[in-house]
Amino acid sequence: MGRYIAKRLLSLIPVLFGVSLIVFFMVRLIPGSALEMYMGTQVEATPQQMLELKRIFGEDKPVPVLYVEWIGQILRGDFGFSLRTGRPVLPDIISRLPLSLELTVLSLLISLLIGLPQGIMSSLGKNPFLDLINRIIGLLGLSLPQFWLASLMVLAFSGFAGWIPMGNYIPFSENPLKNLQMLLLPATAIGIGFSAVIMRYTRNSMLEVLQMDYIRTAKAKGLKKNVVIWRHALKNAILPVITVVGFNAGGLLSGSIVIEEVFALPGMGRLALYAIYQRDYPLIQAIVLIIATIFVLVNLLTDIVYALVDPRIRLDEGGK
Amino acid sequence: MKKSWVVAAIAAVLCVVSAAGAFAAPAAKTLTIGVDQEAVGIDPHIVTAFSSMRRVDLMYNRLVRLDEHLAVVPDLAQSWDIPDNLTYVFHLRKGVKFHNGRELTAEDVQYSLNRILDPKTASPGRSYVSLITSIDVVDKYTVKLHLSAPLASLLDGLTSDNCSIVAKEVVEANGNLQKVDGGTGPFMLKEWVADNSMTLVKNPNYFEKGVPYLDKVIFRVIPEQTSLLAGVKSGDLDLATINDGAIIRQAQKESKVTVMSKPGLNMRIFSFNTARKPFDDVRVRQAVASVLNRSEILAIAEFGMGKPTGPLPVSATQWALPVSKLPFPKPDTAKAKKLLAEAGYPNGFSFKITCSSTYEGGLAVAQVAQNELKQIGIDAQLEVVEWGVYIDKWVKRDYDTMIELRGGSGEPDRFLYRTFYSTGGVNNFLFKNADVDKLLDQGRTQTKPAERKATYDQLQKLLVEQAPCVFLYCPNENQVVSKKVQGFKIVGNGSLFYVTYTKVSR
Amino acid sequence: MAGKKLKLNAIATTGIIIIAFYLVGIIVSFFWVPFDPVDMDTDHILEGPSFATGHIMGTDEFGRDVFSRIMAGSSISLVISLAGTALGGILGTLLGIWAGYLGGAWDHWMMRFADILFSFPSLLLSIFIMAILGEHTLNVVIAIAIVYIPQFARISRGAILQIKQEEFVRAARSNGATSHYILYKHLLPNIVVPLIVQVSLSLSVAILLESSLSFLGLGVQPPAPSWGNMLSGARKVMAIAPWTAVYPGLAIVFLVLGFNLLGDGLRDILDPRLRNVG
Repeated sequence: MGRYIAKRLLSLIPVLFGVSLIVFFMVRLIPGSALEMYMGTQVEATPQQMLELKRIFGEDKPVPVLYVEWIGQILRGDFGFSLRTGRPVLPDIISRLPLSLELTVLSLLISLLIGLPQGIMSSLGKNPFLDLINRIIGLLGLSLPQFWLASLMVLAFSGFAGWIPMGNYIPFSENPLKNLQMLLLPATAIGIGFSAVIMRYTRNSMLEVLQMDYIRTAKAKGLKKNVVIWRHALKNAILPVITVVGFNAGGLLSGSIVIEEVFALPGMGRLALYAIYQRDYPLIQAIVLIIATIFVLVNLLTDIVYALVDPRIRLDEGGK
Repeated sequence: MKKSWVVAAIAAVLCVVSAAGAFAAPAAKTLTIGVDQEAVGIDPHIVTAFSSMRRVDLMYNRLVRLDEHLAVVPDLAQSWDIPDNLTYVFHLRKGVKFHNGRELTAEDVQYSLNRILDPKTASPGRSYVSLITSIDVVDKYTVKLHLSAPLASLLDGLTSDNCSIVAKEVVEANGNLQKVDGGTGPFMLKEWVADNSMTLVKNPNYFEKGVPYLDKVIFRVIPEQTSLLAGVKSGDLDLATINDGAIIRQAQKESKVTVMSKPGLNMRIFSFNTARKPFDDVRVRQAVASVLNRSEILAIAEFGMGKPTGPLPVSATQWALPVSKLPFPKPDTAKAKKLLAEAGYPNGFSFKITCSSTYEGGLAVAQVAQNELKQIGIDAQLEVVEWGVYIDKWVKRDYDTMIELRGGSGEPDRFLYRTFYSTGGVNNFLFKNADVDKLLDQGRTQTKPAERKATYDQLQKLLVEQAPCVFLYCPNENQVVSKKVQGFKIVGNGSLFYVTYTKVSR
Repeated sequence: MAGKKLKLNAIATTGIIIIAFYLVGIIVSFFWVPFDPVDMDTDHILEGPSFATGHIMGTDEFGRDVFSRIMAGSSISLVISLAGTALGGILGTLLGIWAGYLGGAWDHWMMRFADILFSFPSLLLSIFIMAILGEHTLNVVIAIAIVYIPQFARISRGAILQIKQEEFVRAARSNGATSHYILYKHLLPNIVVPLIVQVSLSLSVAILLESSLSFLGLGVQPPAPSWGNMLSGARKVMAIAPWTAVYPGLAIVFLVLGFNLLGDGLRDILDPRLRNVG
């Protein structure tokens, strides 16, 4: 097990290296630059001023040299300064983590709250027609474009309740009520979609486990149906669900870009989006690197949990 | 006994529910302003973005400023003399204090103007004052400026946020003022949470006694304009700057908010790249100018919130000629077809309109223009690009035609010179016309109002006739305010200066 | 069990019915639409749905007929999603087969490359790609394809690995069969099942991806109608003209639902053992 973890951790390095290379060069392929955007269409500058500006914006050296410099900085823990604000990049990114994390956790909770019971009920197959309807509704949740759902929610909510959560993040520790007020609506928007995934996996795993021999045996032995279901089946069915949650958590963390846009939440996704729009290279590079790292680490963690819980899984090379 | 428990329980629930309804209302003398863009920095001599200027409006003063009628009025300078057209003498107010407590003197004016002129600062304000050769401190409250050539627009240029007066020691202690406050303005920087909110507090030593009335001003960044409106409705925001016509239209139907709207100084134009065929032929440009229907574009793209304009923003009534007095006042399809035929394109031609889905990028305008041009057989393809690419194309002059939003000014030279002079800094039309150049040079140096007016009248007609671009309209400056806000006024350039005189009742 | 199979079939069938409905609409739209999708009827801006004016789903902020735009947009959205998924599917599958079959260093590095791609959240990655390539319809196809390569690679590789161990492959090999023969005769048929399921589900996500990109202004550009950019334009006027947002959104929802139902149903029927994560 230890060897497996070590191997996986080692393979992280080339992956992250690859990510850093790709993002550094790709980002400079996008037409336009932070300097141009700073100048906009209204400002004139003398050639002398332009030279000075180029130096400030880091456009005065060839790209490969800049890459090497950047990697050197990263390895020393220095993630550079934003081209747009001049502030160091890392603290800004980290300050957004709590929000994104909380949003992810809340969405996951909501999706589990909706999806688990749905999946379980549906797997019990008492009424096939209801089951069908249930599944369609579940898949409906998956089919809703997030931004559409979010916009409609904002519209409906502001129309009926007269207020909507505004983009002012108050940490949970400071004021739990206000904090939840802010995030409940966006978390629901994300959670509804993801609940369908949970439902599907719960249902499938429950079905599989319910068919298994030892369940049948337990039933035959006369154990009460409920006991059978809740104790044996659920325990085994949770596993794939954990896996799904784990694999998608990374995506949920940063994939809520559109939700953050609509609800004006200062999260990682929006930071990344705006960084790209503004060609803020140091910021983009840092965010992508960090998100990729989180992504990969979460995947690894999930794999490990999976393996720990179910020793039947073979952990050969690329054991997914 | 039981009943009272029930009542208490209901009351408790109601309390919780109503508390959940809105943010805890801030103290009665706080104004919360909703904006859709974060300020990048707040160094007045460095910033270019409107969002930054709005903060600078409240934290700094300049020698002179614009009032709500766009007239130049005293700010830090109580009065001024212009002994000859190369010399300006400013008499400063006494007892003006910087936020750090020190009194403002002529040396500060000298320092600030020199910093703006210094190439190392790379200040956007430099071009407004570039003809200044020296700044002399005559005495503690008197400053003398020397120019190398007459510059009629100097006073107007000095009203710019980029020409604010700053405290030297604050600059030197921090390298620049991007994150700190070195001003004298009605409000002082208290706290800045990036991409979230900025809190300013009242300057108790502001030179104008009795103001500001507010104790606190909070800027909240909310990118969605619908959310901004919802914020004002619900009371989370007191004031919101909204430029989207559809949202303003919606706001006008809301009884809980007031919409303040006035044609601004920004100008929507349809730009030609005069170095590319077929737009190198003035007749083709004139044909397009004859077909584009300003009123229709305004009605559709901005929901009618604006006013058609010529080369000078129509609200700058001292100088601007109204559309009716300029060539091509109304669409004339027959004339347009004739011009096209004369130029050798009887069957029209096809080209691209570069635009972007941002507000400045004018996507809506492009779509309407495309539709209208079909009438004379011109096939316009929309090249919709992302904002960064749009800027890139603008910088590289890589476009056929473009929809642009330009920042005009009430002072004719300040806007027209850099835009239409053959070597003008923002002349992206690559437009070269000797007559235009001559008139621009002339108007810049004339100081007698009657002479200047005649020059600029002539220039405006010439510019519309030569059509480096088609001048469409000036969109309105809009602010959506809650009913509790009193005393706020809109200034055509978007300045928030009147927050100084604003009160909030609760 | 037969009864169960029939029940499960109901899901797939519902999906097929929905998709067929859209296909009919698309085919019709090539020959006839009620109004020109890009024509601006400036006298009827932001009008609500009414049979009287013929605008059964109302008009948008430029006076264009919403229903016609939805019809025209359906072919654009579907073609882009199909093309992107197909391209990504083919490339990804090839990559995965190669990696799985060849094993060793090849496998290792190819999967690392897939991992790198995979570690970007799909929307972010596609935004990146669109920013570089520029906002053309063709580039949306490429962006979608690139996003899907890792997923298809994983699946085909997994299937290959499983099968590689099987007896009959070893037997065939010892009989002297060439790699290619084994590949096409034995391996391919066993991948088809998981791939079909993945394709169907991917199509649903591709449509959502395309509309998200168009919504952000990075996909199909106006005035060409795409459900995504219709929603983007509707965002501002939604409060005073809800039909501009509701109908295109519903159009997306039901088509995506159709593909999801199809994929889910197929998964049940073809291989209940199948439970690839993610």
